[in-house]
Amino acid sequence: MAGLTSFFNPRSVAVIGASKSPGKIGNVIVKNIISSNYPGKIFPVNPKEKEIEGLACYPSIGAIPEPVELAVIAVPAALVLDIAGACGKSGVKNLVVITAGFKETGKKGLSLEHKLVETCRRYKMQMLGPNCVGFMDTHTPINASFAAGFPLKGEIAFISQSGAMVLSILDWSHSIGLGFSKFVSLGNKADLTESHFIENAADDPNTKVILCYIEDVENGPLFLDTARRASRKKPVIVLKSGTSQAGARAASSHTGALAGSDLAYEAAFRQCGVVRARSMPELFDLAVAFASQPVPRGERVAIITNSGGPGIVATDNVELKNLKMARFTRETVEELRKNLPAEANIYNPVDVLGDAKADRYRFALNKVMADRGVDSAVVLLCAGGVTEPVETARAMIEVSKTYPEKPLLAAYMGGKQIAEGARVLSAAQIPCFTFPEPAISSISGMVGYARIRDLPEDEEPPSYEDIDSKTVESVFNDVKKDKRLVLLGSEAARVIAAYGIPAATTILATQPEEAAELADRMGYPVVLKVASPKITHKTDIGGVKAGLKSYEEVRLGFIEIMEKMQRYMPRVAIYGIEVQKMMPKGTELIIGMTRDVQFGPLIAFGLGGIYVNLIKDVSFRLAHGLTVREIKKMLAETKAYTLLRGYRGEQPADIEAIVEATGRFAKLVTDFPEITEVDINPIFAYNRGVSAVDVKITIS
Amino acid sequence: MKNLYIMGTAGSGKTSVAVGLALKLRQEGYRVAYFKPVGSTSGIASHGDEDAMLMKQILQMEHPLETVVPYIAGPAYLSGYKHSCVSVKTIRQAYETVASGMDLVIIGGASFPHIMGCVGLDAVSLAIELQAVPLFTIKIENDYSLDMAIFFNSYLECKGISTLGNIFHNVPHSLMAKTEGIYRPILEERGYRILGIIPQNPEITSPTVKEYVEVLGGEILTGKENLDRVVEDVVIGAMTIESALGYLRRTANKAVITGGDRSEIALAALETSTSAIILTGGLYPNVKVIARADEKGTPVILVHYDTYTTIEKMSEVSRRIKPTDQQAIHLAVENIEKHCDWRDIIRALQ
Repeated sequence: MAGLTSFFNPRSVAVIGASKSPGKIGNVIVKNIISSNYPGKIFPVNPKEKEIEGLACYPSIGAIPEPVELAVIAVPAALVLDIAGACGKSGVKNLVVITAGFKETGKKGLSLEHKLVETCRRYKMQMLGPNCVGFMDTHTPINASFAAGFPLKGEIAFISQSGAMVLSILDWSHSIGLGFSKFVSLGNKADLTESHFIENAADDPNTKVILCYIEDVENGPLFLDTARRASRKKPVIVLKSGTSQAGARAASSHTGALAGSDLAYEAAFRQCGVVRARSMPELFDLAVAFASQPVPRGERVAIITNSGGPGIVATDNVELKNLKMARFTRETVEELRKNLPAEANIYNPVDVLGDAKADRYRFALNKVMADRGVDSAVVLLCAGGVTEPVETARAMIEVSKTYPEKPLLAAYMGGKQIAEGARVLSAAQIPCFTFPEPAISSISGMVGYARIRDLPEDEEPPSYEDIDSKTVESVFNDVKKDKRLVLLGSEAARVIAAYGIPAATTILATQPEEAAELADRMGYPVVLKVASPKITHKTDIGGVKAGLKSYEEVRLGFIEIMEKMQRYMPRVAIYGIEVQKMMPKGTELIIGMTRDVQFGPLIAFGLGGIYVNLIKDVSFRLAHGLTVREIKKMLAETKAYTLLRGYRGEQPADIEAIVEATGRFAKLVTDFPEITEVDINPIFAYNRGVSAVDVKITIS
Repeated sequence: MKNLYIMGTAGSGKTSVAVGLALKLRQEGYRVAYFKPVGSTSGIASHGDEDAMLMKQILQMEHPLETVVPYIAGPAYLSGYKHSCVSVKTIRQAYETVASGMDLVIIGGASFPHIMGCVGLDAVSLAIELQAVPLFTIKIENDYSLDMAIFFNSYLECKGISTLGNIFHNVPHSLMAKTEGIYRPILEERGYRILGIIPQNPEITSPTVKEYVEVLGGEILTGKENLDRVVEDVVIGAMTIESALGYLRRTANKAVITGGDRSEIALAALETSTSAIILTGGLYPNVKVIARADEKGTPVILVHYDTYTTIEKMSEVSRRIKPTDQQAIHLAVENIEKHCDWRDIIRALQ
C-alpha cells in the first residue's frame, strides 16, 4: 500500500454528492473543507448544481479538468459503486466513503462492500470507510468530514472505530483546550484499517501520541507488526472495548465479526508495546500526559502535597500501579528539613502543610526535582483559605522548565477556588487533574511504555534444525482420513516429539493382552489411559490407571477401564487404551495453545495438573514473532516460576529446557495452521530436562 | 433360487443391505424383485413405506406399491385390526405376483423382527411361510449388540430355520478391531456365520440439514442451497465465549443449537466446521450474523421451539436412503462388494 501522505495532504479534493441545502451531509462536508482553510483546490460534484458555497460544481468526477487526489463520497449506497468506478477511471487514488448501508446492514450490504473493495483494488485506490465520519488533519489543514467543528491544532492523532466517539471527543476537546494532529473515523474498515493509520501516524512529524479506540482488529499479524514498529517511535495508546462477556457479545453484534479473546488482545498489546487504556477517561488522561510531558526515565515518583490525606491516597496508588515512591538523597532531606516548617513531612510524600503558599511549593518542588533519585513528580493542592492556586501553578511551570526531562503532573482538588490555577497549568502543558489517581495512572502508563521502548531491538524468534515436519504431516493425514478432529494421545505425543519436545512413549492398544505385552516391552511401571477423541477429562470418569507394575495388572486395568467407559460413556467411540511409560514426577506445568481468530496461536504457560482451572497461574503470549526473551518473561510472570527456581530448598528445575520446549511448541503451532488447540498438561519439569505426559491436539 | 429375508432391528442397515445386494445380484445377471410383507409409515410426511418406494424405483418394478408392500402396520395396528383384512393369504398372493418371472425375491423385514407377532406375521413366521432364508443385520453399538445377535440366531434355530448368517453394519471405527478380534470368533464358535462387517461411514449414516429442517419446520434465514450438508453431530451453544471456540473446534460437520441472541456463539460456530446453525426460541439474530453465515454458505434455521424440544425433535431423525441419493446407493453396493462375502451369499441362495 502506498503511504497515506497524499491522503492526508491532497493537492485537490472532490466532494461527490455535494449539496447546496444546509444541514445535508453533502453540504456540511464542503463547508467543513472550506472553513478548515484547506489550501488545495475543492471540486464539488453534483449533476444538478452549477455552484455550491461559491465553488464551481461539476456534473461528474470525469468532468473535472484537473487531477483529483482525494474524493469524498456522500451519495446514496446504491450509487457508491459506480461513483467509485468513475473515480478509479479518472485517476483518483484516495477515497473517503461517508455513505452508510454496507456490511453493517446485512447480506446485501456486505456483498456491495465486497464489490466496492474490488473496485478499489482494480484501480489501486485506498479507501477510508464506508460508513464513517471522515477525517481531519489540523496541520494540512483539512476537515474532510461531516463533524461539527474542527479540532485545535495539536500533536495527538485519534483513530476511532466509532464515529460517534469522534464527534463527541471533538466537541469535548474544545472545552478543555486539547489539540489534535489528526482525527480518523475508521468506519467499516473495508480497505484502510487501524494498522495503516497507526503506521502513518508513527511517521508523521506532527504527531507525538497515537490514540486508538477499537472494537476489533482487522488483520491481527499486520497490526502486531505495525504497532510494534510504531511504539518504538512514539506511544500508541489503545482502548479496546468488548472485554467483558456481555461486552464481547455487544461487540460481535455490532461489528458482525467474532471478537478475538481478550487474553489474545492483552498479549498482543503487551508484546508490541501498546499502552492499553482501560476506560475512556484513562485514554485521554494518558494522551494528555504523553503529549505534554516527557517520558520518565524510571519508576520513582515524588509527591508534594499540602495535606496528609490526599498524600496517602496518592502513595497507595503509586504502589497499586506498580510504581515506586522515590527515596530522597540525604542532601535533599537535609535541605527540606532546614527550610520547611518543623511539622512538615520531609520524606516522600512531602507535606508542605496547609498554610503553604506558592513559595514553599516552589522551594520543595525545586529540591525534589533536582534529586537524582526522582524520575517524576506529582503536586497535590487542596483548596484552602491561604493557598495560592494560580501562583503555585506559575511556580510549577517555572520549575518544570528547569527540569524538562522529568514529568510533572498535578492534582488540584477543589472546584471554583482552584479552577483558574488548573486552567493555567493545562494551558502550560502540565496535566492537571481533580484527584490524585489519574495523575499516578498516567505516570504508570508512561513508565510502562518507557520500559518497552527502551528494550534492546527485538531479536529473531529461535530456529530449530532438527524438527521433523514430515512425521507431523503424516499423523495429521491419518487423522483426517479417519475423519477426526481430535488426535489420540499416542498421535499427539508423536507430533510434539517430532518437534523435539520430549514426550513419554505412548502406544495405543486395542486388546488387554496387547496392552500388557506393550507394557512388558516398555518396562514398568506404566499408565493406562482411555483413548477417545470425545473424552476430555479422562481422570474424572475413571479412564486412567497409573502405577501398574505387572503384565496381569495391565491386562486387568485394561478391562476395568473399558468397563467403566461402557458404564459412563456408552455412546462414545473408544479407540482403545493407551499404554504409557510412567514418568517420574516432576514439577507439573502446562503449555497450551488456542488459535485466536484475530492473532493466531496464543500460547499459555503455567502451573499444570488438575488444578489449572482452579489456580489459574497462567501467562500468555502470541506465537507470532515470539522470541526467547519474551518466553522467559512469560515464564517469569507466573508463580510456577518461583517453584521452578527452587522453592525453599527444593532442587531448581531445568528452566532452559522449559524455554526450549516452549519455543519449539510455538514453532510447531506456527508451522501448522491446521492445529487449532493444544494442551500439554502436564509436562513434567525435572532438574534436567522435561517430559510431556499428556498431550491433546485438535486440528481443523 | 431361494428367497432372502433381511431381518434386523430399527436402524440396523436392512435397507442399505437390501439395496446393495439387489443391485449386486442384478449386476451378476439375476432377475431380482423386492417384497416387504409388513411396511410402516414412520417416515416424515410420507404416504407409504419408504423402503418399498425406494426399492420399487431402484429395481424399476412395475407392480403397484400395494402389491410390493401389501400391509402397513402402525404402532397401533390392533385398534383397527379386523381379522378379514390381513391374512397370510393376502400377503402370499402379493408375494406371488411380485415373484413371478424372477430368479429371487429380497424380502425386507419390518423395523423389528417381532412386529405383528400377535397375528402370526412376525418376520420368522413369514420367512417360514415364504420359504426364505434369513439374513440378520446387526448394528454394532456395544457388547449387548452381540448378545442380541446370538439371541435371534438361536431363536431362528429353535424354529428350525437355517440362517444365511449375519452382517455387522455401521461398525464404528473404534469397534472394528473388537468386532474382528472378539465378536467374530464368539459367533463363529457357536456356528453362526459372519457374512460382512461394514464400517460406519458418517457421511452416509448421518442425516442432512434438510432432514432436520423437515422435522423442525422453522424458517431458513440463509444457506438454502446447502441443505444437503451432512450433520454428524449436534452441539448446544450455551457456553461462555472464552470456552466456545475450543469446544466447537472439537467437532466436525455439526449442527449448533443456540439462541438467536447469542451472536458470539453463532459467529464462533461459523469459524469452525459447522453444517448448520439452529436458532431456538424464535429470536431473530443480528443481520450481521446472517451476512457472515451467508458468506460461508452455512444454513441458519430459526425455530420457535425451546432448546430441549428442538433436540427431542432432532433425535427423531435418522438417515434414510432416497431414490435420488446416488451417493448413498453407490455406497450401499460398494459396501456389499468390499466388506461382504457376496459370492458366498449368492452361492448359499442357489
